[in-house]
Amino acid sequence: MLLLQQRSEAAFNYLYQNYAAVLYGIVRKTIFDEQTAQDVLQEAFVKIWNNIDKYDPQKGRIYTWMINITRNAAIDKLRSKGEVMKSKIRTGEEIVNNIGQSLKTEQVTDTIGLRQVVGGLEPGYKAIVELAYFKGFTLDEISKTLDIPLGTVKTRMRHAIKLLREHFKQ
Amino acid sequence: MNIKEYIESGILEAYVLGSLSQEEQERVAADIARYPELAEEIAAIEDTMWLMAQAGAEEPPAELKGKIWAQVDNTIPGKISMPVSPKTIPLTRQLSWQRAAVWIALTGSVLVNFILWSQRNNTQEAQVAVKAQLDTMQHQLAALQTSTQKQAEMLADSGMKTVVMQSMLPGHPMAATVYWNKTNGDAYLAMQKLPMPDKGKQYQMWVIQDGKPVSMGVIDNHLLKTPTVSKLPMEVKNGQAFAISLEKEGGNPTPTEVYVLGKIS
Repeated sequence: MLLLQQRSEAAFNYLYQNYAAVLYGIVRKTIFDEQTAQDVLQEAFVKIWNNIDKYDPQKGRIYTWMINITRNAAIDKLRSKGEVMKSKIRTGEEIVNNIGQSLKTEQVTDTIGLRQVVGGLEPGYKAIVELAYFKGFTLDEISKTLDIPLGTVKTRMRHAIKLLREHFKQ
Repeated sequence: MNIKEYIESGILEAYVLGSLSQEEQERVAADIARYPELAEEIAAIEDTMWLMAQAGAEEPPAELKGKIWAQVDNTIPGKISMPVSPKTIPLTRQLSWQRAAVWIALTGSVLVNFILWSQRNNTQEAQVAVKAQLDTMQHQLAALQTSTQKQAEMLADSGMKTVVMQSMLPGHPMAATVYWNKTNGDAYLAMQKLPMPDKGKQYQMWVIQDGKPVSMGVIDNHLLKTPTVSKLPMEVKNGQAFAISLEKEGGNPTPTEVYVLGKIS
């Protein structure tokens, strides 16, 4: 951490080498267009770098902090793009369908990707994780979108991550 | 508070995923700070999310790293403020300031790209200049290496006489060396310390035979630029001294101003 907060080029190299690919993977799951995804990664990285002294180890691990900054940047971009392009507000059903479609196209190139791991979950759980993780939905939004009670959303979320935990333990 | 129930509710997962509202997010953060069991559970969830993220890792294009570094290097630390806790924006509330922000960000990005682009051009020009300089230096280094090697060989040769010519002008430390092979008459010249002659002037090499200077030819000025060992274009069968004098371009029949002289012992 000390090294990172010095903001030296060595620190930057370390950060980039260890996290750029993971963060880029996250951006790409949300934003399909490669050029936009690169812009977002750049944006997120600059934010991470500029705010590294604001990272509070008490609040969680550094990668969670970085992942969240990156996800927020990607989701912001996704939404601002939607705003600029005046795309219609998509219904929950459409979103779920889109997720299904992107699943199919991405599996060709991304064989051990996150989507596939998530894809192994039951559909009811999958949609929740996808909406939360890739689309940045709040619990409330997920509940309304999928028409599931708020409590169920939470417990399903827990169950889904529990399954993933077991998956990674193997 | 029932910790087990709290964990089972799934709110911690939502916290890590950033799916809670701002207030809830802050409340959970406070709870985590208070109960170590919650912190432990959070850590486990975070590790899972990390593994999940790692499984989805994708290498960005190689040139992106330099682009980002160029950008962070130019931004003043702390100028951009950004909430460190995960934030969520409700999908339904799209305010006009958001659109303004998008345009500002876009304009800023275009500007930064332009600056980066022009910086890159400058860097490329500088790079070409440095490369040319490097080529020249490499050339000089190679010449120096050959010259040093040759001098070392000649120094090691027992049939070779080394005649160091010293400055004849007080206050001007000048020197040159002749390596002379008495048996076959070959002579080599190495100029260690001679100033570049003025325009229209040239150095001339002499051997003193029976008390009289005999010209061995003029020395090309360009030989002074790089350290070289040159073979002198005349066989020297005997002599008492070697000398270099400064003459008009093309040389003179007799030396006018002797710069360095070395007696053959």
